Amino acid sequence: MPQSFWGGVVFIAEKYSTLFLNGALNTLLLAIVGTVVGFLIGLVVAIVRTIPVQPTDSFVKRAGLKVLRGIFIAYIELFRSTPMMVQAMVIYYGVFSSVSPDYALYVGMFVISINTGAYMAEIVRGGVISVDSGQTEGAVSIGMTHWQTMTSVVLPQAIRNIMPSIGNEFVVNIKDSSVLSVISVAEVFFTAKSAAGTYMRFFEAFVIACVVYFVMTFTITRILLLLEKKMDGPKNYTIHGSQTTPDAEIRVNGGGRDK
Amino acid sequence: MKKALVISLALLMALTFCACGSTESEKKQFRVGMECNYAPFNWTQMEESNDAIAISSGGYAGGYDVEIAKRIADALGMELVIVKTEWNGLIPALNSGKIDAIIAGMSPTAERKESVDFSDPYYKSELVIVVQKDGPYASATSLADFSGAKITAQLNTFHYTVIDQIPGVNKQTAMETFPDMIVALKSGKIDGYISERPGAVSAIAANSELAYIEFAEGSGFETSDEDVAISVAVKKGSTDLLNQINDALADIDQDTREQLMNDAVANQPVNEE
Repeated sequence: MPQSFWGGVVFIAEKYSTLFLNGALNTLLLAIVGTVVGFLIGLVVAIVRTIPVQPTDSFVKRAGLKVLRGIFIAYIELFRSTPMMVQAMVIYYGVFSSVSPDYALYVGMFVISINTGAYMAEIVRGGVISVDSGQTEGAVSIGMTHWQTMTSVVLPQAIRNIMPSIGNEFVVNIKDSSVLSVISVAEVFFTAKSAAGTYMRFFEAFVIACVVYFVMTFTITRILLLLEKKMDGPKNYTIHGSQTTPDAEIRVNGGGRDK
Repeated sequence: MKKALVISLALLMALTFCACGSTESEKKQFRVGMECNYAPFNWTQMEESNDAIAISSGGYAGGYDVEIAKRIADALGMELVIVKTEWNGLIPALNSGKIDAIIAGMSPTAERKESVDFSDPYYKSELVIVVQKDGPYASATSLADFSGAKITAQLNTFHYTVIDQIPGVNKQTAMETFPDMIVALKSGKIDGYISERPGAVSAIAANSELAYIEFAEGSGFETSDEDVAISVAVKKGSTDLLNQINDALADIDQDTREQLMNDAVANQPVNEE
């Protein structure tokens, strides 16, 4: 192989192109599954944690909610206060010890999902709190249930507010999935280590890994910005139109959210 | 009525699963764990050349360990499966039953013997000193020739402790990795570093301005088997498997082993054009 640094980089990139591509796909898969499933976990936890409890409610409802909240809080605290690398080791070699090594990727998805879920639960809760309480009061006063209030009034606003945080989690997941290499998930970092050890050229192999990670995270952040723009809707829109008296029309120009 | 239907459905499903389980291939699998990133013992290559074995997570495994694994699997009458596993995950994977053996250039140290059983050695490496090809120590033949030389070795290895055996050596601070030492050697910061022969051959293949000094028997470093030998690891208490592996290893004589290692060193991906 070539002796020069860049020669080595090009050589390894060419030789290992399919493995790096495969690693990038696995990394993306882990990040997407982790973020989406983690978000769903976060939604459920946040909705349950914000169910209002009245002293007039039945004992079963009050006790059930209390237990459920206790479990959720224990889950959040446990998974936020231990490193994902340790969780991966414990889950892969302990809880799932009888699972075949062929399924390491699926165990990896499981680990990253429940790990992200713990953070997402807090992010979604933050989003729910950020929506003015008048919104909830209004919804309740017209007879909406907690579920209806959440799904049609609070969450649509809350999710828009937490989009930047969700994007952050996504980007963090792309990079942090590298710790799943400890359970031999064939993602980008694991591939880079193989290349480094096989060709005895460490700097070159990890420079390639840097480039692969950067391209992935940069592309994802751009896509998420576009998604946020789409969620905001058009800048100019008509709130109230009138055909007979044009003066009565209410139009908003340059509305929407500033970045 | 409904209940009966549910039960019969459940039974049917259970039967189908059983049927799936029993239609496995006739040959039992021998799952061997290795890193596939420790050339020339084991590496990951992209082509199926030199009888490399496919890895389920992509690429092909080749190297000295793979050749030994093939011979053991043949002797056991089993189908060889290479499970590419992170170094620190090898022993947990073995003990949790994810793999049947570790063949990964692993030395049978006392600490490791606490948690796994080791076979007889399948390779014994000798220690060499890597130097600059055109440097003042390129023609050294004995340890005494390195008197006054700036020598180092990898941190937390027995390589570093054997440096004291060189009379009058100028022992340097230990370094983290082999690439670190290669860079230090190229820049003249050190005069040489200690390595095992296969590692030295690989380093020279990738860095043409380096050479390594071998020592004749008796004039080199004194080492213990626990340090320089490498063995197959199996789960504690699997005596049957261990005996079969030892029998298989006994059939591979010293000349064959040297030949296999020379082939591995020559065929490793570093040498690709």
